[in-house]
Amino acid sequence: MNNFKNKMSYDSPCDSDNDWTNSSDDSKYSDSESSVPEWDSDVGEDGELVFIKTKTNNENADIKTPLLENCETFKLRNNFKRSSTRRSTKGRIFKVLKAHKSKNTEIGTRKDVDGVLASGASRNVPTDEKFIIIQVSKSMIFSSEKNCQIEKLFGLSLETHADEKTLTVADFLTEARAIYTPKIKKGYYLSKINGVDVNSYNINNILQRVVEDHNSPKLTFQVPSKGHNVDLERLLKSKNAPENSLTHLLKESLCSVLYICCNDIEYNSNDDKGVLYCYPRPFNQNFLYNTRGAYVTLNHLAPKSLGTSEPTNSTVLHNNTLINVTYTSHYSDLLLVAFPNKEVDLFAAKKVITDIVRLLEFLYGSLKSSFTKPNNVDKLDSLFARIFVTLIVNSKASKDDGSRNVGLYFEDMLAAHSVTLPLEVKVQVDDAITELEAADYREWTDDVENFQRLYTVIGSCLYYSGHLLSSHLLDEDLKEINAYLRLNGILKLSTEKELEKLVMWREVFIHEHRKQNNNDGNEYRISDGRWFLLTVGKGHFILATLMEAGGCTEDAVGVTPPSPFYVEECESCLELLYDVGLNKYLASWYCSNSQPQVETSPEYLTKYGKKIRDVNTLKPDSTLKTSTLKLTKLQTDKRRHNSSEQINVGSSTSDMNSMNSLTNYGSHHSLYTQSYNTGQKYRHSSLDVSGYSEDSNSLKSNSEVSEERVQGRRADREQRNRRDSSGSDSDWDRLDGSRASGSIDMSDIRKSLLNEINHVTAQRITAGEENVLFHFVQLESEKGILIAPVKNIEMQANNVLYSYIIKTFRSACKRIHELLQHSIRFKKNHAPSNPLNKILVAVKEHGMLFQAPLDILSQCGISKKNTEPYLFWVVGRVFSEPEPRELYLCYHESVPQDLTEVAYLLSYLE
Amino acid sequence: MSVVVIAVATESGVPIFSRKRGNNESVQFSTIASLHGINMFSKCHNLSMIDTQVDNGAILWKEYCKSVTLIGIVTGGLECDLELLLSCVHDAMVFCIGKKELENLKNIDQIKRDLRQCYPILDYLLESLDPNALSSPLPTLVLDLIQSILCPQAQQLQQALDNYAESVTGRWACLIIHGHLVATSSDFSELDPREARLMLLLAAAQDGAPLRDTPVYLPQMSPNVAFRAVTCKLLADVYILVVCGATPALSQIDEIVLQCWESYASIIKEAKLAHPRNLPMSLAFEPCVLGVLIININKRRCVFSRHLHISSQKGRGMSGAHRMDILRTFYVTSARDLAPELKLKDGNPKGPDEEIANMCETYWCSEYHKCHAQRSGNILCCTLYASTVQMQTIRLITNQILQDLSTNKDVYW
Repeated sequence: MNNFKNKMSYDSPCDSDNDWTNSSDDSKYSDSESSVPEWDSDVGEDGELVFIKTKTNNENADIKTPLLENCETFKLRNNFKRSSTRRSTKGRIFKVLKAHKSKNTEIGTRKDVDGVLASGASRNVPTDEKFIIIQVSKSMIFSSEKNCQIEKLFGLSLETHADEKTLTVADFLTEARAIYTPKIKKGYYLSKINGVDVNSYNINNILQRVVEDHNSPKLTFQVPSKGHNVDLERLLKSKNAPENSLTHLLKESLCSVLYICCNDIEYNSNDDKGVLYCYPRPFNQNFLYNTRGAYVTLNHLAPKSLGTSEPTNSTVLHNNTLINVTYTSHYSDLLLVAFPNKEVDLFAAKKVITDIVRLLEFLYGSLKSSFTKPNNVDKLDSLFARIFVTLIVNSKASKDDGSRNVGLYFEDMLAAHSVTLPLEVKVQVDDAITELEAADYREWTDDVENFQRLYTVIGSCLYYSGHLLSSHLLDEDLKEINAYLRLNGILKLSTEKELEKLVMWREVFIHEHRKQNNNDGNEYRISDGRWFLLTVGKGHFILATLMEAGGCTEDAVGVTPPSPFYVEECESCLELLYDVGLNKYLASWYCSNSQPQVETSPEYLTKYGKKIRDVNTLKPDSTLKTSTLKLTKLQTDKRRHNSSEQINVGSSTSDMNSMNSLTNYGSHHSLYTQSYNTGQKYRHSSLDVSGYSEDSNSLKSNSEVSEERVQGRRADREQRNRRDSSGSDSDWDRLDGSRASGSIDMSDIRKSLLNEINHVTAQRITAGEENVLFHFVQLESEKGILIAPVKNIEMQANNVLYSYIIKTFRSACKRIHELLQHSIRFKKNHAPSNPLNKILVAVKEHGMLFQAPLDILSQCGISKKNTEPYLFWVVGRVFSEPEPRELYLCYHESVPQDLTEVAYLLSYLE
Repeated sequence: MSVVVIAVATESGVPIFSRKRGNNESVQFSTIASLHGINMFSKCHNLSMIDTQVDNGAILWKEYCKSVTLIGIVTGGLECDLELLLSCVHDAMVFCIGKKELENLKNIDQIKRDLRQCYPILDYLLESLDPNALSSPLPTLVLDLIQSILCPQAQQLQQALDNYAESVTGRWACLIIHGHLVATSSDFSELDPREARLMLLLAAAQDGAPLRDTPVYLPQMSPNVAFRAVTCKLLADVYILVVCGATPALSQIDEIVLQCWESYASIIKEAKLAHPRNLPMSLAFEPCVLGVLIININKRRCVFSRHLHISSQKGRGMSGAHRMDILRTFYVTSARDLAPELKLKDGNPKGPDEEIANMCETYWCSEYHKCHAQRSGNILCCTLYASTVQMQTIRLITNQILQDLSTNKDVYW
């Protein structure tokens, strides 16, 4: 019933072209103009705002009742009130996607069942592992020296967690140790007694009940999943200095920051011998503070007396912990940041420090001003606490979980991790952002003449679950904003939790303006203004908008709190993305492993694996891999129908191929993979991207396939291809045309969109019959963008061998990346002050061949007897024209690959 | 590029020596004091500086025998394992004056004077890192490997060496041609490879003297009791070296040499012809192979060869020295990871990169050439190819070379 209603209500908007505008007209409630936004009270004295509200019920709820939620969204949309006057004509194109959504809901929601990216993390760990139940016999009475009820009853002592609510296990009495170990460890949380939630407030009551109860009490312990369970959200919101417990934790892990001013005047005038900032404090317990003399001397000595450059980093051993200390000079000042090597290795430390410097400059204009700004210590404290927590504390947690990759991912450190989206979706996303950026003034107010705009939107970028979807920012701005979002843990938060509302506002100093100060007198100076970064989040979306005050807009004077109007603009932009179902779409897109497809079951590439696969093919439904999407009845039917078609076609190779695709991909995506595969075994991947050859193929072999479908798809693909190859805007022309006529032809576009989304074609970028690609990273360091499979691909794969391959890939990539930097640096700067190694600058490509160890293979069910060595390549190559681009590939050894070709194919997907 | 090695007495801070190679100015006394001060200061705070990177270089402190601190500074994009270099320098110091002296460090002035005799060895070590010095006849290109010549005569020469060692009551003897190890006595492998390499450096450093004996301490085997190393020049660029006790006297050895080696002159001359190809003629290579570096991992011996093809050597774009440098750089930066056992044992507490421990092949493509390395059992082969050769072909050829090496009868390590 619900379903039906839902469908009905969605179908209606697409019927008439004016529906959307009507509905927003309806929702134009001018009386709400006076309403105060809910974040208003959180605006700080300096005008900065951090407002975060996460959904208390996690995604599980909305996964179980996806349709209900849809209804809510719909209601929400209808009731959406804009407090500022605005008549929106937004979403002409959206309407299309929106209309389509109604048909797509079933798919979208069902895909959700298989795991929204964000929730994957928690779901990976089976719940029974997270909670451990121990029954303590009532007859046992433990002797407690402290005469403590808990010790007497359960034989363990508890303490309250840093949040003063949760109870954690502090110690076991000797007699009781046998009951608990090894299942329970110190630091686990006591979550329930006899099924009742317990915390420090109600523990006494519950104990009383236990005493009265005759049954043996059952204790439920929770494994601390987030390791040290630092609440990022709270850390982000807090305006005060971080709590002592956290500071202590960071001190323990030997993270440290120190900013020293080395010129004589300030050195002598300062009480702390030139130390302007130090965290964690107190000073005398900070090892960096205690040993600063060594770093300062070295920083001084190296360029002056040794003729080398300033030191970039030192690795030191302190208390048996290896620590990486990084140096950043700022005129005569020195910023030192230390990370424990275990969590942040040397490679990561070097990357992270550039991000930290970027972030500080972005937030405060320069390094010096960040540390000399009055009353800024608390802010800096919590900033660095967040940085360290994001980098270290939470990576510790993932290590405790088991075999997950330790430390920071190669992908995360280098640039903004972005995903390739189908062109149609990308257009939608870009369109939404562009509309926000255009901020079409006329539509907002009738009083155009008397209103000056508050801000010009310089650009914005949109993230979903920590992946960059689109950026309309200058490269440098993107890098800085990405550093801001990442190091503050905002991306992490948006990945792990579903945000109900996030609004952050603060003044920033954009790169362009900072750099300009250095060489004044430039004719094309950008105006002296002020810049603000507005970050708005909803669900797993994060939208960061960079705005300028001054110039053609009103000058911002004094403390500038966020303008509710602009916040709403951003919110409504996200709202819009929600309305068209992009959240659902992306959730399934992230799970679809399609652009390009990576092989997540690497054991299938062995002879033995092929056998397993063939066996599995006989019962395809039962062996769907976890990464694939569950099919709806309708789809299954469709697929069956289609595969029977395929067989009808009777191509000699189709049998094998359809089997492959069935078992391997098992999703409706295979629908098209199949038809591609037919009779196109070898040149498959190279042809895949080109619509023409595919067409010729489908003409040849799929002649029986219903003409309509082929045409719809083909038309669309052809069009796309034409656009790609000729650069003409035919796609746009058509859209524009339909817009202008405003009547017909929408059906066609709708259909094409539908096709695109229902049947995501799994693209391959490697050569060969089988998909031998395990992982790839394409890095455009100048742009600050990196394309790779989604972050949880490893989780989706859920495969020991795959995890091993990825782990190897990441560590090998670090090596390759470092080597390729020689060439990039050389190309960038032909006469470097420091001579580079002549040989290394010429290296363009570096590859390593690895062999998977036998024990890993046997864990994957490949028996030791009949294994040829399992070999895979990790190869990196730099393309220096027009700007440096690095491509890293990980693929099975069986098919040699040409990286130039792969890069070419990959570029088609973008 | 430049590399500087400074030795300082840890306790007193007295500089012991400073050797450099490259175009930088020599390090001033005050700078040495400050560098040493940094290390001492951090030690007081229970902190040890493991490694410091600068743009294109590194600074490293390393304390040995609790008495001597070595400070290494390398800049200018020189690819070298600084830690390995310092440990080699320390070995050379022990080699010359013994461990006890170094530990006690009683009379620093005396020690400074004594250490002067190892300067030539140290300079050879530093020179071997310098790509610009490759054209000089070098005894070592890679710090941790003994550069050798493979020739079919090695087996016969081994008998002669055994015989000779016995006659002078020694055990370890070797034959050196152009600074390359050609043949050894059968017991020679008892020596630690690093000790053996120091022997070769010693012979190179004593170039010119027809017969000479030097007291040497073997850093691993006998760091406190000196042996007597006797080097004897047989022909031009051909030396035999034997480690023996106090007797027989040098004059007697002179006669013994004549007895033992007179009949081998022709064989040695034949062996000498193997240079500069350094490989038996029966090993043939594809024309696209521009150079090889073959490493016997267990024995820590390596063979560099760039004169693989007899004809048409002239007119190729790349100079021979440059080829050697490419292969060397390739080995140091990438291919060495194929043989994790070559890493320093007591080295960096950073620990080995376990993740890349299972690597079995690696390659570089540059604009002008391609390098490929593959390991087969105990043998690691790094090969330099013309840039036009396809990767698949390269893998096949390297594999073929490795097979040839294991089957060829003239290859005798």
